[in-house]
Amino acid sequence: MEKKKVPAKIFKQEVIVFLVVIALLIFFCVASQDFRKYTTILTIMDYSYYIVLMAIGVAFPLITGGVDLSIGTGLVCYSLAGGYLIMFKGWPTGLAMIVSILFGLAIGTLNGILIGVMDLPPFLGTLCTCMITRGLGSICSKNTGISWPTTGQPGSWFRSIFKYETAGGTKIPLGFIWVLLLAVIMHFVLNHTKIGRYTIAIGSNKEAAILSGINVKFYHIMAYTISGLFAALASIAYSAVFKTVLPGTGAGFELEAIGGAIIGGVSATGGAGSIIGTFIGVFVICLLKTGLPFIGLQANWQQIVTGLVLIGSVMVDIIKKRREAKK
Amino acid sequence: MKKKLLATIVSTAMVATLLAGCSGAAAPAADAAPAATEEAAPAEDTSTEAAAPAADAASGDLDFKIVVKSFQSSYWQAAVQGVNQAAEELGVKVECNGPNAESDIADQVNMLTNYINGAPSGIGLAACDQSACLDALQMAKDAGIPVVCFDSGCPDAPEGSVLSTIATDNYGAGATAAENLYAALKDSIASASAPVRIGEVNQESTSESITQRGLGFIDKFSELATADGKKVAVVGNEFYVNGAKDKGDEASADIIIEVAVPAQTTVELCATEASAIMNKSDVLGIFGSNQVAAEGILSANENLNKLGTEAGKDILAAGFDAGTVIKQAIKDGKMFGAVTQSPLAMGKTTVETLYKIANGETVSDIATDGYWYDNSNMDAPDIAPNLYD
Amino acid sequence: MGEVILEMKKIDKSFPGVHALNNVDFEVKRGEVHALMGENGAGKSTLMKVLTGIYTKDSGTIIYEGKEVEFNSTREAQDAGIVIVHQELNMVGHLTVAQNIFIGREFKKGIRIDDKKMNEEAKKLFDRLNIDIDPTMTMSDLTVGKQQMCEIAKAISHDAKVIVFDEPSAALTEAEIEDLFKIIKDLREQQMGIVYISHRMDEIKVITDRVTVMRDGCYVGTLITEESTKDDIVNMMVGRVIYEEPKTKSQVAADAPVVLKVEHLNAGRMVQDISFELHKGEILGFSGLMGAGRTETARAIFGADPKESGDIYVNGQLVTINSPEDAVRAGIGYLSEDRKRFGIVVQKTVAENTTMADLPNYMKGLFIDRKKERDVARKFVDSLATKTPSVDQMVINLSGGNQQKVVIAKWLCKNCDILIFDEPTRGIDVGAKNEIYKLMNKLASEGKSIIMISSEMTEILRMSDRIVVMCEGRKTGELTIEETTQEKIMNLATRDIN
Repeated sequence: MEKKKVPAKIFKQEVIVFLVVIALLIFFCVASQDFRKYTTILTIMDYSYYIVLMAIGVAFPLITGGVDLSIGTGLVCYSLAGGYLIMFKGWPTGLAMIVSILFGLAIGTLNGILIGVMDLPPFLGTLCTCMITRGLGSICSKNTGISWPTTGQPGSWFRSIFKYETAGGTKIPLGFIWVLLLAVIMHFVLNHTKIGRYTIAIGSNKEAAILSGINVKFYHIMAYTISGLFAALASIAYSAVFKTVLPGTGAGFELEAIGGAIIGGVSATGGAGSIIGTFIGVFVICLLKTGLPFIGLQANWQQIVTGLVLIGSVMVDIIKKRREAKK
Repeated sequence: MKKKLLATIVSTAMVATLLAGCSGAAAPAADAAPAATEEAAPAEDTSTEAAAPAADAASGDLDFKIVVKSFQSSYWQAAVQGVNQAAEELGVKVECNGPNAESDIADQVNMLTNYINGAPSGIGLAACDQSACLDALQMAKDAGIPVVCFDSGCPDAPEGSVLSTIATDNYGAGATAAENLYAALKDSIASASAPVRIGEVNQESTSESITQRGLGFIDKFSELATADGKKVAVVGNEFYVNGAKDKGDEASADIIIEVAVPAQTTVELCATEASAIMNKSDVLGIFGSNQVAAEGILSANENLNKLGTEAGKDILAAGFDAGTVIKQAIKDGKMFGAVTQSPLAMGKTTVETLYKIANGETVSDIATDGYWYDNSNMDAPDIAPNLYD
Repeated sequence: MGEVILEMKKIDKSFPGVHALNNVDFEVKRGEVHALMGENGAGKSTLMKVLTGIYTKDSGTIIYEGKEVEFNSTREAQDAGIVIVHQELNMVGHLTVAQNIFIGREFKKGIRIDDKKMNEEAKKLFDRLNIDIDPTMTMSDLTVGKQQMCEIAKAISHDAKVIVFDEPSAALTEAEIEDLFKIIKDLREQQMGIVYISHRMDEIKVITDRVTVMRDGCYVGTLITEESTKDDIVNMMVGRVIYEEPKTKSQVAADAPVVLKVEHLNAGRMVQDISFELHKGEILGFSGLMGAGRTETARAIFGADPKESGDIYVNGQLVTINSPEDAVRAGIGYLSEDRKRFGIVVQKTVAENTTMADLPNYMKGLFIDRKKERDVARKFVDSLATKTPSVDQMVINLSGGNQQKVVIAKWLCKNCDILIFDEPTRGIDVGAKNEIYKLMNKLASEGKSIIMISSEMTEILRMSDRIVVMCEGRKTGELTIEETTQEKIMNLATRDIN
């Protein structure tokens, strides 16, 4: 009976965020009649996949008390690399996807080594790889925008992973299922496997983890490798949803993912977090991003609103901590 | 010690420059002979027309050097094609070169310097970097070699070094899109009982080229509609609303032009903005003022499925530039058409301008047109080369 | 006591510039509690870190269970049965008790961690030790004492044969220390070898069988606890005799004015209706057990924590104190028990720390007047007898006692007349303690007024002119030094317990 206490605490944040998502949905439906359409759901889904995937990944470095700023430019870089191989080298899509994923794993591991072994501050280490991936992406694509095979072209099968079109022409956002499935798997990994447990331990009290005889360096690296892997998965989702990937872009994606994770209850100071919460938290960001233009808010205001929402959720986290400290 | 070192460096540099100059000069000299004989024949055929230019200088003696940004994309290949066309027509000798990538700025400057040392009759330059070429341009000016910039200008070039800049008239190109879109929508606008809406997505509101295109579209569309007795209002992004010649009054307008600008220039944010406009039920047309914005509109349509030229589709979309995605969409009838810049014409005009300068004519800056293309004329010989991937 | 289980011979270890261990010998027998004593910096912790593989020794041998061993990590030492219970708790606050105990060697079912089994095993462990803790609780929800029990349970669960306790009682209440001793005695019964590091002389007498003393990285000697007196041990530690005689008479003039008056102060559960007066030149001791609310009271007076109600008068004037800034303006300085977190900036120099609270007076236009700053710092270094090579020395390089003096200098520099010392000698070695005491007496005789919060009975009895006793957030008594006895204080401090 005591056991339920711990998950219940985290669960609460998830419920709150879920209610916020519902409230936002209702708000936008009431405020804009154009919003109340099936196609809007499709749009929100489309634009959420890559952020959700990045957020699931970046939750791990965040829980270690670090951060990964390289996922945004990394995403674009992996996508450009894979797309280039398809477009100019005639590689099959599947093989190019594997290259993208390996690329992501490599950059993630590099981050892990910089931070976990060479002790660079996470902010600095991943800022470096952020710049590196940005440059690498442009080199990979030879400075031009890259399009993965578009619908109808050979090799475009991967687009239907995320959005399946029935014979009748109805589009089904299949990607949601895969992304949810990955979130559930990573939720399990965080809470019930060694990698997850040690990720929390590093964020909560690294010294204690070291003195417990844990190979902290390895698990620190793993947190960033997971982040890199999910940035690569996100790159595939991004390539599948959008027509073109432009070199030099991507900076700023990571902030949406980190924002989603923190709204979803990942502690801004590390040591605690929920992947399911992250999953729901990202939808707050996506809903704002998709919904605010519908009520006629100019782009710059959208960013201000998103920023305010983030402040709000971080404040909730801080107030909660203060209360716990008072107990 | 320091002086000695400096002297060594300077002398080495001088020798190197000399050598480079020699080799640069030698190569065209060797080519010159066969070229001259080949050109002799057509020159006779067109003797009457060619009489004027042939009078002041033997055309075969003129040799121009063209430096492009790179050969990476078909855009530049189209430009080179235009250069060669003009060279053939005018009977001059032209050599084109460019770095491997548009980012290899130093390589391009090196090429440019080598060309200047070879003392050609004139140089055409599409500078990769506005400021990196300035020293070389000063050199050219000192050596009395005329330079024509094309595609991109060098605003800070030393006075008198760049005699003409040939670049797309973005305002006019935006207007071209408006003309074609208005012509296609004219009937639906005339028959509409309620106000209708035209969307415009611009990736930003800070660069000269994009804002000119956006405003060109707005002003032309308003002008045409007003001529047909309709009232037009411009709403949305303040920059474009305030920049428009007549922003009108939304409450009484028959046509509302809604302008959206995303917070960042990325495809997905353009797509979000496009979705928001295209979701409205009164939208008839939408214009994306560059490749990113146009692709954003197409991304948004993936879910909305409202774009198309065939009956039953609600919205006609016009784009800008080419690229596989846009070309495919126009072929499939998803996008009505687009304006492309004309690298071919730019290349051609560059050589023609250099030729004029060589003949002592004064020249000024030239704005090249944007060309409208759609499903019907994509394969036409004057359009197809401009549609790079 | 059984045979020798662990023997360290001629251990030598140098760090750049420091000869940390010089030919140290040490041994532990089965079924023995062996105290390891010495002032801070004597080399106790270094010796234990060499033992458990955190540091590698330069020379010497370690013989464990009859074989020469060399551990390269805590993990290897753990696996061999040598574990250490650290002074600062090494627990992962966000994980549960059971998850903490088995961290690094989780039970698994496939790739899944078997939390159920871990909870059961932890329960069994606690039963064996007679500890009543629910293994599914989140660690950060436990009291410090309970966390310490978990740490011990974790150590024992490694099939330990030698357990090192590094100042285990520092953060515990009296009741918790009782429990701890019970456990240690149990472990001794089970023939484990126990190393007990502590500063508290009274504990050493109660719990240990032998005492080994170290000084300046050298082995001084080993005594049988029963056969030696406190003075014997202290003499070995400091190489000189220290007198800790209690004060018998208040040093405050009868007509000394009241400089600070606190009336009906309330701030949460730990500060309820506190009223007292502080006279000029007085040292007012605040006694009580851990968690009695003394630090909380000080923080509320100082404005570091919000107050609910209550009035504070300084020199007869009612003052509003809502932040430390207000308090400093009213002339109140607070010397935190946790110097590294609240008292000093360790990466700055002595001079910079000295002027930190009073910087506006050391400015020349927009710039800090370095010369003036150094001059004033030098003045305080001299008057407080701070041992530092120069005022440009980084504070991190000073010993605890001298760090404390820098903090005192900071408040004196700011001209604070009321100083609140919170555990002024915690973590400071015996020799330096005396100097701090002397300094406090000097300050009082110069007319400064001092509130001294202390958990050490001897310190309270030796320093205070008057004593306020607190228990569970309430003031339970006020005694003049003349009438005070240790028993009276303990009575008041524990009145409401049970």
